Amino acid sequence: MGEVMTRITWALVDLATQLLDPHERDAVCGDLAECRVSGWRALGEVLGLVLRRQAALWTEWRPWLALMGVVLPIGILLSHASRWWADSTALDMSLYIRIWEWSYLGYPGWRRDLFGIMWSVALNAAALSAWSWTCGYMLASVSRRTVWVTAMAFALVVFLATLGTSTVARITHDNFAGHFYGVVLPRLVRLAFVVLPLLWGIQSHRKSVVRPTMLLVGAAAVIILTVLVSPGLENSLVFGRGSFPDGGPDRTVGTSDDPRPLWPVAVLMLWPTAYILATIMPRRPRRLDAV
Amino acid sequence: MLLGEFEYLMLTAAARLGDKAYGAAIRQEIEDATGAPCSIGALYTTLDRLEGKGLIKTWMGDPTPERGGRPKRMVRVTPKGVDAATSFYSAVRRVSRGVAWAKS
Repeated sequence: MGEVMTRITWALVDLATQLLDPHERDAVCGDLAECRVSGWRALGEVLGLVLRRQAALWTEWRPWLALMGVVLPIGILLSHASRWWADSTALDMSLYIRIWEWSYLGYPGWRRDLFGIMWSVALNAAALSAWSWTCGYMLASVSRRTVWVTAMAFALVVFLATLGTSTVARITHDNFAGHFYGVVLPRLVRLAFVVLPLLWGIQSHRKSVVRPTMLLVGAAAVIILTVLVSPGLENSLVFGRGSFPDGGPDRTVGTSDDPRPLWPVAVLMLWPTAYILATIMPRRPRRLDAV
Repeated sequence: MLLGEFEYLMLTAAARLGDKAYGAAIRQEIEDATGAPCSIGALYTTLDRLEGKGLIKTWMGDPTPERGGRPKRMVRVTPKGVDAATSFYSAVRRVSRGVAWAKS
């Protein structure tokens, strides 16, 4: 038992040292090996150093830009969008599971409805993933050395920002009383389409694996996706907070005359994309004829 | 430039160790002298601060087997560091004149 605990604590020490710069990691690990301290003491010492290093980094403006410009505003929006889209999917899923008959696929209207829903779910999932990827890429670009702290903060905001709120779907349907639709599905959606793409975006920047042309194509795709899903994004902030939007002059929600006061949120979601585009644009050489 | 007390302890330990001054050795020297634990966090952040002020120079040494094949962060006190430590020590001596604990 003692042997296992020792191995676990030294594995944790090794993990904690990954947050240090490579040259410092070597020197610190060497010092700890030479001093023959216990695993717990080594863990405390390394975490103390990591905290001091992180605190020093947060005296600069870049981590704060990442936190206030990306983590908080976009994390909160993604938290609402992911929960609302998980709830909408849950409603469709539960309905189809309850009434499913293979023979229905023979009816063109039924097929069209089913494919329409699948298309909408795929678009929403793609939009969530694309926005999260651009956020990860921007976090790594703005503040590389604090990226794991800002990424953890981002994940926390995504999972916690909707606490204490409800959605119209939850208020009006009893499907969500069950654990799967009410708790598990929203968490799975957030994990699969927000947290994992966020980590992918961070790794893509750290390893510089995406070429500028790919970034340009990706940015165009994100803009198109955002335009396509923007009404749903706005709904996630209205229906997704348990209230109903204004139906406009015809008093019917979902028609073309509905006012859309929340349209700027789609623009906000594109801000990491705009940042990425700005970083890959070729810089014009400075004129020297003024010398 | 007036040093902090921990900065002075580190400069003094590094100067005493000479060519053998590196992270773990300085830490041991400080712990022996003060009888108090010296954390790696305090040690490495103070090393960076002293290097930033130009009072020491550090570089990565060769790996050794007792350190699991990992290199040491070697430390050397610069002439500016010697001046700063001398000033600090002189100030402590001057300010301590005539007080009870400085009579011995």
